[in-house]
Amino acid sequence: MMLVAKAALGLGGALVLAGAYTFHEGVIRVDVDEYRPNGSHVHMWVPAAAVPMAMHLVPKHHLQDAAQQSREFMPLVHALFKELKRYPDSDFVEVKDKDQHVMIRTHDGKLEIDVQDPGENVHLLVPLSTLDDVAAQIEASAPGA
Amino acid sequence: MFHHPARILRKSALLVAAAMVLAPLGTLAQAQTNSDQTTSSTAKAERWLHVRVISTDAKGETVRVNVPLDLAEKVLPAVNHDRLHEGKIKIDSAHMDDVDLKAVLEAVRSAKDGEYVTVQGTENDVRVAKESNHLIIHVVEKGHVDEKGKASDAKKCQVEIKVPMKVIDALLSAGKDELDLVAALHALSTQGDTELVSVKDSENTVKVWLDSKNISD
Repeated sequence: MMLVAKAALGLGGALVLAGAYTFHEGVIRVDVDEYRPNGSHVHMWVPAAAVPMAMHLVPKHHLQDAAQQSREFMPLVHALFKELKRYPDSDFVEVKDKDQHVMIRTHDGKLEIDVQDPGENVHLLVPLSTLDDVAAQIEASAPGA
Repeated sequence: MFHHPARILRKSALLVAAAMVLAPLGTLAQAQTNSDQTTSSTAKAERWLHVRVISTDAKGETVRVNVPLDLAEKVLPAVNHDRLHEGKIKIDSAHMDDVDLKAVLEAVRSAKDGEYVTVQGTENDVRVAKESNHLIIHVVEKGHVDEKGKASDAKKCQVEIKVPMKVIDALLSAGKDELDLVAALHALSTQGDTELVSVKDSENTVKVWLDSKNISD
């Protein structure tokens, strides 16, 4: 009985530690709702810490292709994400009309993109540090980097 | 009197585990505090460029763009495309329609305060002046004029542009055939709250202004 309790305590502790590590960088949230027949409804929560780890599993030639194609824009992307971290809660772009509403802003250190349209709603929330990490990894995988 | 070694070990392990669980929370809290401090310190000095377009047509579109000048200043040098390199724009064929833009700006910069251009026509009124270290351009498009010489309101348009001379100086501070946009942004960031561009017509209102708020009105 004591042994089972100890094992449960160990397992519980490990789970708490793993959870704390996995979620310490926040979560990436993607919500897509298409309001049409057979429209897709995607609701996804991914721990942000998992993304840089998952990037290591992407075949190297795919990353090199991505780096090659985005080479011209990478310094801009890198500079933008680095600077955006200094503005953790700011509204940058808002476009609104009778039917649509588009919003790009940072909230709590995350880049938030909201699109509300009679046909679909898209909501994207990504920690800025994750975007910066991904950009840095793509940049580093460029041939000759 | 002495505790059992296994019990001490168990207690120590529990303490270490608790410390490990709480450590990230402490770091997070500290990071949050640091971030709050950074936000409040940057909020004091931060200058924001705002653009607002309000359309009064059937769709009633509104566009609001808020850009921190500091961010634009840091990001612009990273853009290397076409004529824009390292925050400077090349105007090597600046003789656009036989107008040497740099020469005109240079002439305005070195001239004294006063009214340079005043055109009063049936369709347009144009005024270009230099007043208290600002270049002011004022255009009023009177719209369609009927046979009786009366202007209809349908296409009336009013444009007002007010640029601090310091910004023009900075713009011209690059080498020959170049305009230094980063320097101009930097000069703009030292200015007080000011309205730079205002365009009003029967369907749209455009306003570009500078202040310390990170949200539009």
